[in-house]
Amino acid sequence: MLADLMHTLSSDVRMGMAQAAGAVILCLTVVLICRRFAVHVERETVLSLLRGLVQMVFVGMVLALLLHRNALVGMLILLAMSFAAAVTASRRAQGLKDALLLCFYAIAAGAGVVIAGMLATGALKPDIAILVPVGSMIIANAMNACAQSIERFNADVTAHVGQIEAGLALGAEPAVTVAPYVQSAVYASLLPRLDMLKSLGLVWIPGVMAGMMVSGASPIYAGIYQFILVAMILAASGIAGLIVTVLIRRRAFSPAAQLTLRPGEPHNSKLAPVKA
Amino acid sequence: MSHATPIKSAPVIECAECAPEEADRRPTDWTAQAIAVETKNLSRAVVDKVLVRDISVQVQKGEVLAVVGPSGAGKSSFLRLLNRLDEATGGTVLLGGEDYRAIAPRELRRRIGMVMQMAYLFPGTVAGNIAFGPRQRHETMSQEHIKALLDRVALPGYQDRDVSTLSGGEAQRVSLARTLANSPEVLLLDEPTSALDEATAREIEELVLGVIRERQMTCVIVTHNMQQAARIADRTMYLEAGKLVAIVPTNGVSHAG
Repeated sequence: MLADLMHTLSSDVRMGMAQAAGAVILCLTVVLICRRFAVHVERETVLSLLRGLVQMVFVGMVLALLLHRNALVGMLILLAMSFAAAVTASRRAQGLKDALLLCFYAIAAGAGVVIAGMLATGALKPDIAILVPVGSMIIANAMNACAQSIERFNADVTAHVGQIEAGLALGAEPAVTVAPYVQSAVYASLLPRLDMLKSLGLVWIPGVMAGMMVSGASPIYAGIYQFILVAMILAASGIAGLIVTVLIRRRAFSPAAQLTLRPGEPHNSKLAPVKA
Repeated sequence: MSHATPIKSAPVIECAECAPEEADRRPTDWTAQAIAVETKNLSRAVVDKVLVRDISVQVQKGEVLAVVGPSGAGKSSFLRLLNRLDEATGGTVLLGGEDYRAIAPRELRRRIGMVMQMAYLFPGTVAGNIAFGPRQRHETMSQEHIKALLDRVALPGYQDRDVSTLSGGEAQRVSLARTLANSPEVLLLDEPTSALDEATAREIEELVLGVIRERQMTCVIVTHNMQQAARIADRTMYLEAGKLVAIVPTNGVSHAG
């Protein structure tokens, strides 16, 4: 197995690294152009490029090592990916208590339900070489949906504190006072995925379809499979967006139905004891 | 209307306006009145600041108490503790003698209504806004009831008007009617006229005064306007840096002002 890995590294990797260098040069050119317009993303771009490359090389090596292991290992990898996705998404909810856990629940539930459904219906084979890449696409989209929902909900609630408190002051349930912002947060998480579905085949032909055709699959089946995948991404995003919004909605209020999410204040800000 | 009650555990009156003889102007029948709201050592502090410090005050049924003080004195913070929009970090509030923590927050807020500085109407019609409170308790307000409330706040025939078409004064009248629709026992007013022009502010003030007199409501009003406090309130309490520095009958305010 190690010999296979070394062989892969020696032959394809050199070509891959050269192609990656070309991609990096193009990105850096864009960064330089941005700089001329006073848009400074140099540091962030360089770090992201380096991080992305290292991560992908690492994942490739791990997959090469695990290629012939059973599906359980693949599931564990997806679980770890879900956790990493939760770490990224939870950065949008700074100050929110248990943000990491909430994001993990939402992403794991969204991606988990969809992956389980695909496995059950045979749309996804329990083969680690397929399970992990396809699963990761679903997890990544669930992560984005989660982050978009959090961001939208936070922005809407902090912009409508007066309206929400007016509702609370009239004896409304907290959930009633933020209902419009829950709707817009979930919608915000679904919108990019809906656009993706609408433009499927017209604006872009996703990589999975291209890969299947290259490996000899029927173009029609490849197209249908790609549709299934994007539809599942939409479902996973919807579940993740909905769950995380409902969970942070509960965290936006105290047990005494007081709004704790306010501009400039972290969620559940600590109250200090009064000094006499 | 009932009158002043001395605070039992509040700080000693310190300001010049609050000479002991002012406190003695209280009507003699105040002890006969029931206490509507009482705060006991009420305090609120956030991470690095004390907003309300150890305030004890009693408000009689039907009394109007004005809360005045400089910006940042904790007037609105104090008011928001009364209907538990914010959580007290010390002390408590008694509503009709009952600790407010024993009352479900939604029920407490129905019983202690609040009109805010801005109207914060919900998108839709005026009638929809007025029926909002009762709807939360699964009660349907009759059209007659809505009409009567709108007539009372001098907005006859406004039921179907979209709230986006209302002026500031009209919106504040709807806000008052919306709060009254819950039939509160106590009315909290957080600078309800400060965002309005002088003429409109006086109209709203007269409207509020008329409503609380005819309903014999207990009222706590936050205002930065001493003259308004003098016109409306039976007593006025002065806050400074979150602390109650004095509480005097309204005569004392007008005298000082």
